Amino acid sequence: MNHPVWDLPGLGSGWIIGIISIIHVSIAHLVVGVGAWLAVMESRSREGGPDMALWIQGRAKALLWLSGIFGAGTGVGIWLSIGLVNPTATQHLIRAFVMAWAIEWALFAGEMATLVGLAYFYHRLKPNQRAVLAWSYALCAWLSLVVINGIITFMLTPGTWPTTHRMWDGFWNATYLPSLLLRTGIALVLGGLWGLAVSAKIPSTLRDRALRPASLFVLAGLVVAAFSAWFYFHELSSATQVALVDALKLAMGDFRGFLIGLGMVLGLAVVAFWGVMSLALGALGWSVGIRKLAVVLGLMGLLFAALIYAFGGEAWRALQHFGAWLKGAGIPGLTHGFRWALMGLGAFLVPAGVALGTLLWPRFLTRFMATVALLLACWGFGGFEWIREVARKPYVIREVMYANGIRKDQVEAYQKGGFLAQNVWARTFAASKGDTDLAKGEALFRAQCLACHTRDGYRSLKRSTAKFAQEDAIAFVQLLRELDPEMNPYLDKMPPFAGTDEEAALAGKYLASLNGK
Amino acid sequence: MPLPLPVPDPLPLPLPPGLFKALLVVTGMLHLLAVNLAVGGALVLSVHALRGRSSDREWVARLVPLLPPAITFAITLGVAPLLFLQLLYGDFFYTASVLMAAPWLAFIALLMLGYALVYRFVKGASIRGRSGLMGMLLLLGVGFLWVSVTTLSLRPDLWAAQAAAAPHGGWIRVVDASLWPRFLHMVTGFAAVAGLLLALWGGWRGHGEARRAGLHWFAWATLSQLLWGGWLLMAQPRPLMKRLMHIETMEGFTLWISVAAGLAAAHFALKARKGEASLKGLWLPFALGLLSVLGMIWNRDQLRDMALEALGFRSCALPHATDGLSFVIFLITVAAVALLIGVMVRWIRSHANEVAP
Repeated sequence: MNHPVWDLPGLGSGWIIGIISIIHVSIAHLVVGVGAWLAVMESRSREGGPDMALWIQGRAKALLWLSGIFGAGTGVGIWLSIGLVNPTATQHLIRAFVMAWAIEWALFAGEMATLVGLAYFYHRLKPNQRAVLAWSYALCAWLSLVVINGIITFMLTPGTWPTTHRMWDGFWNATYLPSLLLRTGIALVLGGLWGLAVSAKIPSTLRDRALRPASLFVLAGLVVAAFSAWFYFHELSSATQVALVDALKLAMGDFRGFLIGLGMVLGLAVVAFWGVMSLALGALGWSVGIRKLAVVLGLMGLLFAALIYAFGGEAWRALQHFGAWLKGAGIPGLTHGFRWALMGLGAFLVPAGVALGTLLWPRFLTRFMATVALLLACWGFGGFEWIREVARKPYVIREVMYANGIRKDQVEAYQKGGFLAQNVWARTFAASKGDTDLAKGEALFRAQCLACHTRDGYRSLKRSTAKFAQEDAIAFVQLLRELDPEMNPYLDKMPPFAGTDEEAALAGKYLASLNGK
Repeated sequence: MPLPLPVPDPLPLPLPPGLFKALLVVTGMLHLLAVNLAVGGALVLSVHALRGRSSDREWVARLVPLLPPAITFAITLGVAPLLFLQLLYGDFFYTASVLMAAPWLAFIALLMLGYALVYRFVKGASIRGRSGLMGMLLLLGVGFLWVSVTTLSLRPDLWAAQAAAAPHGGWIRVVDASLWPRFLHMVTGFAAVAGLLLALWGGWRGHGEARRAGLHWFAWATLSQLLWGGWLLMAQPRPLMKRLMHIETMEGFTLWISVAAGLAAAHFALKARKGEASLKGLWLPFALGLLSVLGMIWNRDQLRDMALEALGFRSCALPHATDGLSFVIFLITVAAVALLIGVMVRWIRSHANEVAP
């Protein structure tokens, strides 16, 4: 890290990006899909009369609210958070892709301008003008995805950029097309689910017109996403493919036991969630159909009572098994993450079911059902993004820069000439703490480990090194200096230690001191 | 100990740095004009809404719905200068923001919450003055964080002390003398520009009360800048202040022309207050006020370059390797989007009489 380090205890600064980007990425893809759905609705509005026009204007306003407040707000948030968490990598990416981001900004400006036009001046526009604007909005939103996709995929598969340093060589990379297809598919799924949620309660004359395209969006999006995920996987390097498959296998664990437990927990969770939410909404004065709710809850309760009666002890054992699976005693933290990501991908079955059900029996769709499906799809999308991030490790830009902001081509110089001698902020930190051995060790820890670990919170190094004596900790960091994968088995998971042998000893001493050794 | 300046990134810029500098200044001006309209508008309108005079009620209700799209444009137009600022001044900007990471991150929460509250400012026939006021205060909080980071970014001599005082980036411990006058200068500027635009709207719509109130805000906010601006000038490091004081330097010339234009605009605004409810008498204060605002924004950029030059950094000396293709695609995209917006505005204007805003 060339800049000062944001040392956020407990959670770790990386999670700040994670939380903001999960929200932003979901909204950003959602608005692409909603834009296309709104354009389709606008094109069909002439048959729907003034009621439909009024309704579409209302949806455009809602989209502006979502996009303007939360989409743009979290978009700025991503800029700020990546600059805080990994300023060195952010600066490198901006140097390489500033013009791509500038183009994306121009498209974003077009997106917001057309949306403001539609939301505020809808009735000053003729129907064909509205349709042109709605399609222009959808096109601008999708094109901004087309641009940003090049930068995201570059970080995973930079192609020939590391040698040429030409923007377009990095932009058109191996995973560009599958990723674009996948993200377009996801955008259709999210947009379609939003369409289902906002159309669930409208008068039946409009409802059928709105629900059908929205359901088709979801189903088409899922097909495109599934196909392109397979395509995406095949464009990854064979080493990344093997690492991913191994990690997924480990995460699956005893899958049969997991499925039984998951089914039961989800079933109970749905009943509990439905009940609590309905009561809460009822208390807020929203109509939820108490009688219908009571019937459904009663039936589901009976079903569960019957299941528990029939399976008795096995059901209890399955629940215990599921608890143990979730707790994952003895498995690495990364595997936990994969499990959550996998469950998220599995959760895409719910939106698929809801969309198919709506296509076949439109009157059974409720807003609550569509909203839950939308949230589950966001979870699934988050799972995919998490797996993509992990596939990039130990790099932030594969083969160019490690997750801790140290470029691959800097490692040798740091190992020969010393990190502290060449890094002004590590020196500044050590000096602020009296330049003791522990202060120097902590400075090295902050600059090289904090990007992914914390002292005693998320991915805690205190916990990981609890059994280490001081000499073990030193030997461990010295092992991380090795650049030969035969000697350093962590090289495909962690950046090598970029410092001299003596500095590795200082970092080791600091690690041991976390456990009072 | 030498200043803790990070080692510059080795990648060259894809275009000459002067071009990026021009893009930064132009997009920065557009962004700041939108911010002036949005935040200054929220300030002026919430004050009038809370004052509750029946003569204000009608024009406040008509203008409040314009605030959310104004914030939308302020955010949208803010992304580009943020990008170019990071490109040209990244080492200074990132370092300062990491050193006050936690409050800096609150920027997002303040922005979204402020926006949502301004959105709630008016609903149907009811005006929620308190919601507007709270939203405006939160948005001013965003402005304060921005001023804090940019001020700290120009003072590498304070960085080590700030890092030692707040190792987790908890709060702003080390404050530069120019922080408060810069903030007050900015807030008063928001009120002045919003007042000027309110006066123009009042003149355009034949609304005497709005016209008078707008001119009042503009004139007094501008005159109060003598206090904040003077304080800001005095708070500058000695060599910078000296250059600003001399009109024969480029920076001094920009400053004093802007001051003169601002004072002249305030004078003509006070004179125009008693005029009829039309645009007559407003164009001169508007043109002079705009000149003053744009001059001040440019002067701010000059001030940054002066401070960094003293540290041996010149953004215009950054290395570059021209990538013409991406610039051409950028220009085509901007032209296409401008055409789209132009066509949209034309369509909307052609039916302007059907629904009045």
